[in-house]
Amino acid sequence: MFTYTFQWRQAWQKIPLLLDGALVTLEIALLSMAMGVAFAVILAVARNSKSRWIYAPATVWVEVARNTPALFQIYMAHFGLGSFGIHLSPYIALLAGITFNNAGYLAETFRGALRAIPGTQLRAARSLGMPQTQAFRLVIMPQMFRIAFLPTTNQMVWAILMTSLGVTVGMNTDLAGVTQDINVRSFRTFEIFALAAVIYYLIAKAVTLGARLLARRMFRY
Amino acid sequence: MFETSMTLSDLMFLAKGAGMTIAVTFFAVTGGTVMGLLFGVIRAQISPWAALPLTFVLDVFRSVPLLIQLVLANAFQAIAGLNLPPFATSCIILALYTSAYCTEIVRGAIDAVPMVTRRAARSLGLSWGQDMTYVVFPMALRVALPSWIGLTLGVLKDSALVLWLGLIELLRSGQILVTRLQEPMFILLVVGLIYFLLSFPIARFGSQLEKRWREND
Amino acid sequence: MKKTALLGGLLAATCLAGTAQADKLDDIMASGTLRCAVVLDFPPMGSRDADNNPIGFDVDYCNDLAAALGVEAEIVETPFPDRIPALVSGRVDVGVASTSDTLERAKTAGFTIPYFAFTNVVLTREDAGVEGFDDLKGKTVGSVGGTYEGIQLEDNIKAWGDGDFRPYQSQADVFLALSQGQIDGTVVTSTVASSIVQSGKYDGLVIKGDAPYLPDYVALIALRQEYGLLNYLDLFINQQVRTGRYQELFDKWVGGEAPDLTVNKAYR
Repeated sequence: MFTYTFQWRQAWQKIPLLLDGALVTLEIALLSMAMGVAFAVILAVARNSKSRWIYAPATVWVEVARNTPALFQIYMAHFGLGSFGIHLSPYIALLAGITFNNAGYLAETFRGALRAIPGTQLRAARSLGMPQTQAFRLVIMPQMFRIAFLPTTNQMVWAILMTSLGVTVGMNTDLAGVTQDINVRSFRTFEIFALAAVIYYLIAKAVTLGARLLARRMFRY
Repeated sequence: MFETSMTLSDLMFLAKGAGMTIAVTFFAVTGGTVMGLLFGVIRAQISPWAALPLTFVLDVFRSVPLLIQLVLANAFQAIAGLNLPPFATSCIILALYTSAYCTEIVRGAIDAVPMVTRRAARSLGLSWGQDMTYVVFPMALRVALPSWIGLTLGVLKDSALVLWLGLIELLRSGQILVTRLQEPMFILLVVGLIYFLLSFPIARFGSQLEKRWREND
Repeated sequence: MKKTALLGGLLAATCLAGTAQADKLDDIMASGTLRCAVVLDFPPMGSRDADNNPIGFDVDYCNDLAAALGVEAEIVETPFPDRIPALVSGRVDVGVASTSDTLERAKTAGFTIPYFAFTNVVLTREDAGVEGFDDLKGKTVGSVGGTYEGIQLEDNIKAWGDGDFRPYQSQADVFLALSQGQIDGTVVTSTVASSIVQSGKYDGLVIKGDAPYLPDYVALIALRQEYGLLNYLDLFINQQVRTGRYQELFDKWVGGEAPDLTVNKAYR
């Protein structure tokens, strides 16, 4: 059945390169999450706005992010914007694409979380003399993050997985990019992608575990 | 920008790509749901320790990028001499990927049915099968359906990755047209619009359903 | 009666022996289809016409091969980086895909004698300020990842220690990136470069001299262990040259004198 001979030695020698790639992957995922959360808070608030001019663009962002493939969004960031003379390097295009996607999904998560917080709380805070922004920042936001924490962790894992799509726009420094680069030179596809899969798995697990520990400290779950 | 050399036959080419996207999604979601139901019931019924191997395997499908899974599976089927066409490989991997998420949905939904309700059903003399069919299923369905619709939409979008195995689905057919017509922005917008038209109505239906059911609770 | 039994037995034995020893060449002839991996964003070797049907030198070459084998040709579009995976994964029988015969690759796939040869040129944009190969130093350049010229260009950039290399997954993406100004230059085979410049599809692309690389001999590829098939392919390539069909196809798709496929002072 197996006429193929595995060549693991060749693949093992590439482990240091793969680990360098893994760092870049983690970096992009973390940056895209940090920016994604920031945009998502703005989008979630904007989506509750009465003004059409605020509500409409935010809604378009959220719906496009959620209803088109991430691969499409990244391809668009590189080649779509490129046709307008806006040149994003593969790194930036990938980061922008994932941030756009993260923000869209997280905005819905946060909106759901906001809805779960009773409106009376805001009024109570206001009646204690807090200005609107302060009340939002000190009373509403902490609760929102607490409710949305687990879905946000899931989105973080998603962000890690999405970084692998960078290879389609010429990315060659992240884990998938390095893997593909080694693959096209040696054509030992199975061996090298298997190692990459293990590394992705370990990163995802480490992030999930880290988030769980963080949550225990921050929210006393 | 609205002057395009895109012809009707090119639009048909995109439609054919969309057909491929729908076909892959259909097989993946059907297969994934059947497996997800099975695995979900198993996970909800047996002890976490006994379910550990299953939990681990399914977790792998959720923690490794789909792109890597597809490439790996394709290389593996070749090495094993299975000679599967890329369409079959894509559908199988996407179905397993779907089942990993579907299992969580099913398990969550079953757990959401209060234990007292189930004990009451069993004490009325219902068998485990009857309890599952007439008590748990209708209640769990309401919890699971909105998430399941979300999952289906996710798979529809993730199916774009099968282009890596050479399948000409919607995004790939768009890229082919970009190569020939050199109008990246316009063609990509059309592709995006088609994805949106496939996905948005189902998403809306899902949230309507969720809203209506919440009102009845 | 006895005779028929004997004949039947013999027939069964032949069939059994036949299936037991069937190799890829037998499989192709039995299935009646030859599945060729062809790169379709690499004109004039492979591209698509207005009805999105495959055309090009490699497409014709595959059709000739299928005709010689007496089977139907099936063109399987395969991006450059996917050629050998497609072969190893059994999606295709033969790669008719301008595959450079590197020693690294020959560890995994089986190569025939060369069926075509390319020289490499520098392709750039008029406004990029690149006048020749040496000007690529310090620029952002790109190529298809894993190709003969792509690997060398990446190594050049690394050796220069200046500039940026971007591996794209298809030739089309490289040209798109170049025309959009995402990259300032690429090294690409001369036939493809002139065909792209002539097509006029991309504004402002110009060829600026040769790249100092050795001629890029490309071969057909099949599975490493399929000697029967590889033998047949070697003979087929020889026959294509001998009968003048090679020159004929070259005239049709490129024009001029077809490149010499022999290497002086060495046997293959």
